[in-house]
Amino acid sequence: LSHSAGTGALAQWVLLELQGEVEPRQSGDLAGSLLGDLHYTCEGVPVLIVGHHILYGKVVQLEKPFAVLVKQGGASQPSPGAPHGHYTVTALIKTKLLFKTRPKPIITHVPKKV
Amino acid sequence: AKLNPAELLPAVHCLSFGPQAGGGECCLLQLEPGLCAELEAGRSLVIRGEKDEHAVLCSKDKTYDMKIADTSNMLLFVPGCKTPEELNADLSSCNIIHSQIAGFSKNYWELRRCRPKLKKLRKLLMEDPYEGPDSQTDQSSTFSKYTTEDLLSLIQASEEEILHQLQVIDACKIEGYWRILDFDYEMKLLNHVTQLIDSESWPLSKVPLFACLEELGSLEPREMIEHILSSYGRKYFDDGEVFFEMREDKICRAIAQMLLQNAVKFNLSEFEEVWQQSVPEGMTTRLDQLQGLALVDKSSRPETIFLLKVEDLPEDNQERFNSLFGIREKWTEVDITPYIQDLCAEKQTVGALLTKYARASMLNGVKVYNSRRPIS
Repeated sequence: LSHSAGTGALAQWVLLELQGEVEPRQSGDLAGSLLGDLHYTCEGVPVLIVGHHILYGKVVQLEKPFAVLVKQGGASQPSPGAPHGHYTVTALIKTKLLFKTRPKPIITHVPKKV
Repeated sequence: AKLNPAELLPAVHCLSFGPQAGGGECCLLQLEPGLCAELEAGRSLVIRGEKDEHAVLCSKDKTYDMKIADTSNMLLFVPGCKTPEELNADLSSCNIIHSQIAGFSKNYWELRRCRPKLKKLRKLLMEDPYEGPDSQTDQSSTFSKYTTEDLLSLIQASEEEILHQLQVIDACKIEGYWRILDFDYEMKLLNHVTQLIDSESWPLSKVPLFACLEELGSLEPREMIEHILSSYGRKYFDDGEVFFEMREDKICRAIAQMLLQNAVKFNLSEFEEVWQQSVPEGMTTRLDQLQGLALVDKSSRPETIFLLKVEDLPEDNQERFNSLFGIREKWTEVDITPYIQDLCAEKQTVGALLTKYARASMLNGVKVYNSRRPIS
């Protein structure tokens, strides 16, 4: 059994939809590693630069917005089967940036720019 | 591919994965129309279901099935990521925006509006029906009794749907717990009222509450008298006083149930005679009052009638149809409708259900429906 409660004004996040897998370069955490740079053209076209790849996308207003649910405390078994547990709605997503061109596996480790 | 920096807006988001990103703690829920507005208005959505039940999501007044939808794409969620419009609107924004990806997923929860799962509500309340204040079982009862909060946590339906159903099944609150009346006790109460109406010669459409409480208050608790009047009558005010317009169909139906529950089946014409004699003076019995309660067997000689309550049948569509076809091989639409009407989803018709779960054929010039699968 779980509860979602919106307290105060809900944050608006954005969804990035990419083709392919996200894998850490090194084994272990993704946390902290860079994905890439997101630019927009003057016409509003999103451009994602990941490593040596340039992905062009488009801004899509979602017909059915998403709510982002965050699991609260307790034993966190990531069970895709059942959503049992306590959740809070952290944010709403009404917009997504869809990148359709399919590159090779996305490299997450990008050398830091000096 | 070459990119011309002159074509780009000055701001750039440097995207990296946040500390929690790989944890799988976030998940996405796709919202049906109206739910987004509800969340923004500060209202809650609740996921309900015990370990052995499929989870449902409930808003204040609706229930939705939850299903995982897989995409072949990767969905990353980014707080604080600005759209081109937002960047253009805020030209003072710093040129390098460090954004952290909060999480990612290959799938999300999809919602589909469904019928609230209310059969369990009746089942829970039937564990311990209220038999009246004198009943021994109530005092030393070891059965569970349920408050509104208890029901909200156990029933896979929205609060409004639950409260509405409690009203439909004539449940009442006794000492803070929701109770259903034991049928025999309910009939006893009804009988007190109908006898009083008869002896006072009150019109069935104008039964005074005050007088009922006065006359019957010594026999039964006042709350119970008022409850039975509310269940079987329509309350209204006239000149500051409370009256009830008794509901003929509901009373006749209850009396039929009382008669039918005593045997497996009855000779139809004998039943109809006894039934008419048993109802209060001024009321007329009709077979259509018994829809969803009893079934007439026109193929037997003589014709018979037996009790078949829709609320005793399975809640799941396929199981309901299996059960019905187990009782009778072929059904006319008229006969089967009261037993499948409650299965219709929003905007679904009985015809659509029959098309999906049954096979039509002609029998003696009449269209009948039977099972799509062989019954063992």
